[in-house]
Amino acid sequence: MTTTREDTRATGPGSGFRRLAVEEFRLTAEPYYVEIANEVTLFEHAYEQKIPVLLKGPTGAGKTRFVEYMSWRLHGRSPEGAPDEGVPLITVACHEDLTASDLVGRYLIEGSETRWIDGPLTRAVRVGAICYLDEIVEARKDTTVLIHPLTDYRRLLPIEKRGELLEAADGFLLVLSYNPGYQSALKDLKHSTRQRFIAIEFGYPPREQEAEIVRVEAGCSAEHAAELAKLAEKVRNLKEHGLAEGVSTRLLIYAGKLMAQDIAPRLACQTAVVWALTDDVEVQRSIEEVVSSIFPE
Amino acid sequence: MSLAEELVARHEPALRGFGTSLPEELGLAAGELQGRLSAEELERWAEAGVTLARRSLRSWEAAQEYFRASPAAAEALAAPELLAWAEAAGSLADRSSLVAAAYLRSTPGVLRSLPPADLEPWARQGERLCQGSWKSIALATIFYQGSPELLESLTLTQLGRLVDVVEALAERSYELATRCLEAAAPVLAPLSPADREPFLEFAWVLTRASWADTRIYFERAPALLAQVDPAERTAFLELAAQVTESVGRQGFPLFAGAADALRGVDRAEHPRLLGFAHRLASASPVAAMEYLKSAPAVHERLTPEQMERWSDAGLELLLRQRNVEGAEAFFRLESARAEQLLASLSARVELTTVAPTLRLYAKALTGQPIAVRPVEELADKGIGWVAGAATTEGTAIYLPAAVSSFPDQSDNFQIYKVFATHQTGRIEFGSFRYRHGEPGAHTPPAELPPAQAPPAQAGAAPRPRLDGLAGAPADASGDDPSPAEAERPAPLTEMQRLYDGFPDRSLIAALFTVVEDTRVDARVAHEYGGIRLWLRRVQEAEAARRPDARSMPLRRAYVEALLRASLGRPQSIEWPARHRQPLAEGLAALRVVEQADATVQDSAAVAAAIYRLAAVLPNERLAEEEEWLPLDEELLTIAPPMPSGEAADGAPQPVSGEEAFESPPQPDFRGDFKPELVQLLMRMREGAWEGEGDGRGTPLTAEQLQELLENSTELMISEMAEGDLASTVSLFLTNLERETSLPSGGQRPQAGERGGEGEGEEEEPPTDEPAAPEIEYFQYDEWDFRAGDYRPRWCTVGQRASEEGDLDFYEETLVRHHGLVTETRRQFELMRPESFRKIKRLEDGDEIDLDQAIEFLVDKRAGAGPLARFYYRRNKVERDVAVSFLLDMSASTDEEIDKKRQKYDEDDDFDGDPAKYFQWLAQRRSLRAADPPKRIVDLEKESAVLLVEALEAIGDSYGIYGFSGYGRENVEFYVVKDLDEPFGDRVRRRIAKIEPVRSTRMGPAIRHATHKLMDHDAKVRILVLVSDGRPQDHGYGRDRTEKEYAVHDTKQALLEARRAGITPFLITVDKEGHDYLKQMCDDIGYEVVADIEQLPRRLTTLYRALAGD
Repeated sequence: MTTTREDTRATGPGSGFRRLAVEEFRLTAEPYYVEIANEVTLFEHAYEQKIPVLLKGPTGAGKTRFVEYMSWRLHGRSPEGAPDEGVPLITVACHEDLTASDLVGRYLIEGSETRWIDGPLTRAVRVGAICYLDEIVEARKDTTVLIHPLTDYRRLLPIEKRGELLEAADGFLLVLSYNPGYQSALKDLKHSTRQRFIAIEFGYPPREQEAEIVRVEAGCSAEHAAELAKLAEKVRNLKEHGLAEGVSTRLLIYAGKLMAQDIAPRLACQTAVVWALTDDVEVQRSIEEVVSSIFPE
Repeated sequence: MSLAEELVARHEPALRGFGTSLPEELGLAAGELQGRLSAEELERWAEAGVTLARRSLRSWEAAQEYFRASPAAAEALAAPELLAWAEAAGSLADRSSLVAAAYLRSTPGVLRSLPPADLEPWARQGERLCQGSWKSIALATIFYQGSPELLESLTLTQLGRLVDVVEALAERSYELATRCLEAAAPVLAPLSPADREPFLEFAWVLTRASWADTRIYFERAPALLAQVDPAERTAFLELAAQVTESVGRQGFPLFAGAADALRGVDRAEHPRLLGFAHRLASASPVAAMEYLKSAPAVHERLTPEQMERWSDAGLELLLRQRNVEGAEAFFRLESARAEQLLASLSARVELTTVAPTLRLYAKALTGQPIAVRPVEELADKGIGWVAGAATTEGTAIYLPAAVSSFPDQSDNFQIYKVFATHQTGRIEFGSFRYRHGEPGAHTPPAELPPAQAPPAQAGAAPRPRLDGLAGAPADASGDDPSPAEAERPAPLTEMQRLYDGFPDRSLIAALFTVVEDTRVDARVAHEYGGIRLWLRRVQEAEAARRPDARSMPLRRAYVEALLRASLGRPQSIEWPARHRQPLAEGLAALRVVEQADATVQDSAAVAAAIYRLAAVLPNERLAEEEEWLPLDEELLTIAPPMPSGEAADGAPQPVSGEEAFESPPQPDFRGDFKPELVQLLMRMREGAWEGEGDGRGTPLTAEQLQELLENSTELMISEMAEGDLASTVSLFLTNLERETSLPSGGQRPQAGERGGEGEGEEEEPPTDEPAAPEIEYFQYDEWDFRAGDYRPRWCTVGQRASEEGDLDFYEETLVRHHGLVTETRRQFELMRPESFRKIKRLEDGDEIDLDQAIEFLVDKRAGAGPLARFYYRRNKVERDVAVSFLLDMSASTDEEIDKKRQKYDEDDDFDGDPAKYFQWLAQRRSLRAADPPKRIVDLEKESAVLLVEALEAIGDSYGIYGFSGYGRENVEFYVVKDLDEPFGDRVRRRIAKIEPVRSTRMGPAIRHATHKLMDHDAKVRILVLVSDGRPQDHGYGRDRTEKEYAVHDTKQALLEARRAGITPFLITVDKEGHDYLKQMCDDIGYEVVADIEQLPRRLTTLYRALAGD
């Protein structure tokens, strides 16, 4: 959790990586994103009006990519950001052990002193970043309550341990994502939480658009992309009939990438779709048959 | 006076007393004999006759036969032998003159087969049968009478064996013995001489083992043996005898079964099969016969070499591992081992194994639930389908039960896939979504000959003509619309509207089928690049075995030509040169639907256009000398997809000698196509009859249906039912309604793997109040401990929701046990775990633990190199328990509990409070008055109530199930509360309805409960079985009294549950429970509740112990 302000780019042989403080991450190039409905406009207005956003949809449908895209698109609106950079984007992948202090911050002991370290949410509030809590239902329920005061007109983050109240900087926006599909009733979003957000539904894109997305992202041939989109449509028919979730666009792109590398289409689908999707042998077999019907040997 | 006359004169006085004919007979015989015998011999001969006549009261009858038979007998017998013969007859006559007479009468016939020396033993054989009673006399008589015929095919020794059999039978039943004896000659004569002895030997063994079967053996054996290769019959009979020696009563059924089975196998294989059976027989005769019985089933699936490998595995089991029961189960095909080996060796692919895959495949392709069924099933429904061809009725696809076209399993599966893809293609690509009057992607709406259009749709559809295809108006065909036309009921379906427009329905239906199938195949090939190769292979195989078109009437040959083109083999078309033009145009029209975006509307328009071309061809067989040519290059490569040019002018004229049109047979993978019926079914499913308006939503009337039945070429009324049309219509309508009111796929057992699901679970739309309980079927293996192997898919478990009673029971129980209820609730609430638990000494965590931090700093100051573990965090511990209670609902739970011990629970907590006490007392009094005697099942119900109350408090997910049933095919599994079902009034009502039903087949019930638990996501899974006794059921063991089998199977089921990570526990109220539970449960937890009344309390306590932590 320690960060230092000065490090931006490590140099030296074999170290082409960048080290950034979480709040410094901005997109500098436009991510590829195809608008399916009118979600871009909606999001822009929400950002303008400081209305928190809930992104609903199955995994791999493009929620994260959408947030990245929006943070880039909204560049220049952040007070600190350079005109060609996006709004800072802080992403937290939620997991079941994620606690309030993981988000807000905690004390560390250094020497014989304690030092306070901000958590990602606190940082986002301070710098006015988009804070994206991915798969929010995975987080412990007590954690989600923490964000409530941030989401209404108050835009406040109470930091109990320090006895502080943090008022969100101007560009701050809370974005949650959540997959209503596979979670059990236990992992549903509380109404007190969900009713603080406007919700944008993400479905899988229509066949032609999905084919285009796969083609661009994977760099495979248009034919392969079209066949993959067709496969996706067929496999998604199996949702709730052996599959908890349909095949995601992300997996299709992986398959497309493998095909672009001259992996045989059937094998590519086997690894990127069939085996990735399910462990149920019967269902695997059926999807394999769909694959072998679509892709010639 | 001749010697003979003298003899007569001398003996007449003695003989006269026995009847007038006797001297005459003597005279006749003597006359014939006098040349052959010396005077002295003749004298002695005659004296012997007289002696015989005098011997007993009725022995004169024998004497009469003696005289009559003598001339013939004397041809073979020398004089002394003749006298010995008479002497033998005399001793027989002592027993019965009838028998003696029969003996004497038959002798000449017998002497044709036997040397004179054998007469004596032969006589003795008959004598054995004659025991003095009149029945035995009749039997012996029949024996002698039948002997000449019998001896034509038997040696004397063999005849002796037959006598053994008959004699043994006679001890039981003379009637049986007589029947067998009478049957013997006709049965034995046709047998080859070598087979006769083994036949009789088997009869002898059989008689000793199971005498009652002997008659059936004599009756059925000829037919049974005829099924066996002649050269192998001896071996087979010897085997049967060997088997019967060891198994007794089972001998004949095994023999008959094996013989019947051998019929199903090519005779050339018989020596090999019997040879192997003999090898088995030495170790287990039963296995040998079972092997033969299974032979056809195995042979069908395996090549001889594969079969050898398969049977060697069974032999190994028998000889090496000395597992006789196992080997017998193996060869009976009742063992998982045998089935697995069979499946792995066989190239044949069975629908039962691929159906689950294909079902999901079809679901993926079409997006709608589609059941996969064997073709036979559809015909049974009586809704219009008869033949056994692949087809679909809109919600299910029907495929052949097995495919074995190729020597490789995966190839055969590909065939299935082509079948399935074509049939689902009809659904996916909308073959049944034809809307009359709508244009296609390439064509205007199908054009009908105007005058033929039924009034109902007049004006409904605009009718522009198909470009370039000038239709000949069909009204000139002489097929005048009848005056009743105007009153014809409105068509039921869109397809009917189309077909109604054409005078020859069979022709338009056949054309539409070809065209639409062409379109579907083209679409499949276009959409699914991966299956193209196999589609082509199947099409080619089909094209290669088309019937010869030259022998067909012309119109049929025309459709045949189109069919070949549609199978991608126009090269194979041969066609009379002078009719070139219609074919050229027809082929061109067919190409229209081969385009990727063609719709069913296009198919209809193209079919209509081709109809006009076909209709002008005379449907006659052409003369022999007619020249049929293969298609020329030009025709094979017609450039424009749309046909051009004029159809031959003039409407089809009925030509004398013209045949009614009959469609050529369809390729197997396309099978039956009945769009009219499917549309009817679809409309009925949608319940469109209740609607109103455009004539599409009017109720279905009997007239309409009758119209459809009479006209549709898709129905063969005569094949559907006998009797008058009206009753056929009503039967058909009933079948249709039954079919369409049911969600497809439900209600039938579905073969599946072990633990496999029935498929109902996804196809049934949720219904609020099911009138009849929906039953889902599941199949499970059963453990045969003797064979040491599972019997595959042995038991069928029918799962249904329990019936609902009224709420009173639940409420009353709560009131009655309110003390216990409160107590257990409280105890259970205590089980609720702390929701958070502090975890200390972490390197990273939520907060700094002050104590640890101080210690850390102290250590650090002291230079002790401390560990930086001073954080703590709170972890939420979630209780994640799922429990299933399985209640025994066998008939024995109906037993009343001993009244004496029915004291009220003393533990009610009215601790010293008089008010409470009086309340309790009053309550008890009223209960006593109202309470009927309590049964075990009542306690189970009360326990259920208590558990529900307690479990609701703790929040664990739980299921309550009951089980009973009768026989392995009928294990009943009642759902009182499903694991994920919310608790409510329905559950309360169901608890009230837990009633004793039938037997206790625990194994499958446990397996099903296990299966359900495994489907439920939980960290801890518990299965509690509540029972009142040992497991028992019809056929749950070798015989009625055997208990071992059931105990072993139950134990195995419990072990399976434990292997799956479930904690099984058994609780029983059977006081004798300890002895078998010890064996059954091994190290699985169990408890015998000594005081039955304590069951509710014990169950809750126990649950706390099991699921507490």
